[in-house]
Amino acid sequence: MKKAVSFAMAVAMTASLTTVGAVPVLADDVSITIFNSKTEIQSQMEEKAAEYAEEKGIDVEVYYSNDTVAAHMATRYASEDPYTLSMVDAKDVYSLGKEHALDLSDQEWVNDTDYEISVDGTVYGFPVCVEARGLMYNADAIEAITGETFNPDDYKTLDAFKELIAKLIEGGMETPVGIMKEDWSLGAHFLSEVYEEQEDVEGFITSLHEGSADLINNEKFNSLMDTFDVLMENNYAKDSPIAAEREVSEQKLAEGEIAFMFGGNWDWSVINAYDYTENMGLMPVPQNTEDGTNEKLVGGGSKYFFIDNSDNTSEEQQQAAKDFLNWLVYDEAGQSFIATDCALVPAFSNNAIEVSDPLGKSVKKYADEGALIPNYDYAPDDHYSICGASFQKYLAGQIDRAGFATEIEDYWKATTPVEH
Amino acid sequence: MKRNTMSYKVKQFLMFAGPATVLFFAVVILPFVYGLYLTFTSWDGISKTKPFVGLANYLAAFKDAAYWQALGRTFIYSAIAVILVNVVAFLLAYLVTSGIKGQNFFRAGFFVPNLIGGIVLGYVWKFVFNRALVSVGQALSIGALSTSWLATTNGAMLCLIIVSVWQYAGYMMLIYVAGFMSVPKSLMEAAQIDGCTKSQATWNVTVPLMRASFVQCLFLTITRCFMVYDVNLSLTKGEPFNSSVMAAMHVYNQAFTYKNYGTGQAEALILFVVCAIVGVTQVYIGKKGEVEA
Repeated sequence: MKKAVSFAMAVAMTASLTTVGAVPVLADDVSITIFNSKTEIQSQMEEKAAEYAEEKGIDVEVYYSNDTVAAHMATRYASEDPYTLSMVDAKDVYSLGKEHALDLSDQEWVNDTDYEISVDGTVYGFPVCVEARGLMYNADAIEAITGETFNPDDYKTLDAFKELIAKLIEGGMETPVGIMKEDWSLGAHFLSEVYEEQEDVEGFITSLHEGSADLINNEKFNSLMDTFDVLMENNYAKDSPIAAEREVSEQKLAEGEIAFMFGGNWDWSVINAYDYTENMGLMPVPQNTEDGTNEKLVGGGSKYFFIDNSDNTSEEQQQAAKDFLNWLVYDEAGQSFIATDCALVPAFSNNAIEVSDPLGKSVKKYADEGALIPNYDYAPDDHYSICGASFQKYLAGQIDRAGFATEIEDYWKATTPVEH
Repeated sequence: MKRNTMSYKVKQFLMFAGPATVLFFAVVILPFVYGLYLTFTSWDGISKTKPFVGLANYLAAFKDAAYWQALGRTFIYSAIAVILVNVVAFLLAYLVTSGIKGQNFFRAGFFVPNLIGGIVLGYVWKFVFNRALVSVGQALSIGALSTSWLATTNGAMLCLIIVSVWQYAGYMMLIYVAGFMSVPKSLMEAAQIDGCTKSQATWNVTVPLMRASFVQCLFLTITRCFMVYDVNLSLTKGEPFNSSVMAAMHVYNQAFTYKNYGTGQAEALILFVVCAIVGVTQVYIGKKGEVEA
């Protein structure tokens, strides 16, 4: 009897194993893996990938990692198990595109975007979205005090901006500004504008590296630092700026306790966790300048897909990955996935869906007007950390502007600029 | 069966130590040797080629001022943390073996911090230093508390030390408790009959017999402090101005964030050598003077 029972059990278990094992075979034979490095859209990605997979009859798996993108890519390539499709930062495409990415020059979408990445004339990077930096504002908070409709175009110059700040202070908002002390915000985002807003960006970087740039007497540097000084002066965390936590500052901005903070449309993913107002936006950093940079945001394509070109990825997989990219650009479902589900600003001109978040709307407006100053994507990998630390010292009042300029100059003299 | 043949010994060894040896080779020795090889290349971690560059990475490591600063900082941090951890742990152990009421409860309680992972612990304490203490300081207008310690260079180091002591003291306490318990009561009584006070007996009889516990605790705390990473990452993240970056964190940044894989690996190796020298010397000195009852 016992034997009979165990035999029956064994049969049942084997049967169940076979059924489970058979499922993927029934569904399809192409399966692709996608690496997502934009953590805030992971759940949307997973959901959409499942739908997409069912519709197209292929198998799609979405992964993400909390590691830095480059470190994670290194792990996957070291184990010869690269993703079919990887979402990376612009600098990663420059550093690994030639060796690891598939040539996408012949793809139709190349004609519908200004933000693709090519290395030596070959397109490797598919832009996921557009992101831009500037001064975030909470118009509700401003209008509640001034009683007038807030129009950011009226505050292009630092003088006009200072007057507004004075008005806000008079109206009871004692400290209308927040400053993110994170090294990436100060070093990679604010300081980089000093390079990006130069007339000859490449020439300026070369002169920094060669040691001939005189940063402390540079017009752009001083113009931006003048503005930064005003922000610092009115920082709600002025007494201990380095202790200000990003979440706290974003909450204050969302809820109108402060009115301004330097940032970008990625900040929406933090702001939308709080009791925010829709009446917010991004404006150019006010500066007393005539060169027009105070009418533009700084930004461009952000996060890039590339397709693996190694033997680990079959031609069918590469084709499936190309199809997926085309779907993102040309299929209505793909378009609304980017603009509505993920609330990203589309990088493709044929995608006319309105962006769902207020900061994104501002970015879209400036992008459509051609008022985006391009990112400088070739800073060495340690730039944000080392120069960010110098900037933090300046923010904390440990060094003055001249000392700060010297530290930046010293950094560039000692580093090797990224070839591109 | 013959027990002194080679094949029998090999079989015995493989049976008991085989799995562990294989694992040890796979996850410690092989990566170590491979890592050593990588220090002679200028690999960026992802490229297909690994160009051989000889000793260039070691030269770069020796020239990397930020690395030596981080290492110096790690020395200072370790020195203070190791002393404090062991003093606190010893006192706690003394307390919970002295027969106070509910001592088992206290033993468990002091040990709990060690069960919380370093990352979580860092975030919890970050909240305490950045918000809780600051609110208390502002409410009672205590100057030293009204701004966050984490925002200043020395403050961030102090915070790291406080958290490390809090984390490790409980664990080391357990080892000291075991040490206290291993000393026979009779010796203590004999000393007291001979006229020692209780504290004299502890100092002159119990403590020397606990030498093994001290050696063990010091070794554990020294190596852990030198290699500190998780608390460093979640509590200060190297801030402010990269002034609280410890050696391990600098190595990680160098290799993975700045993408100088070879240099990072070379710096890791230097850290290993320094750590090994300190650890082994300490154990050697500690073992030499061990006494038995």
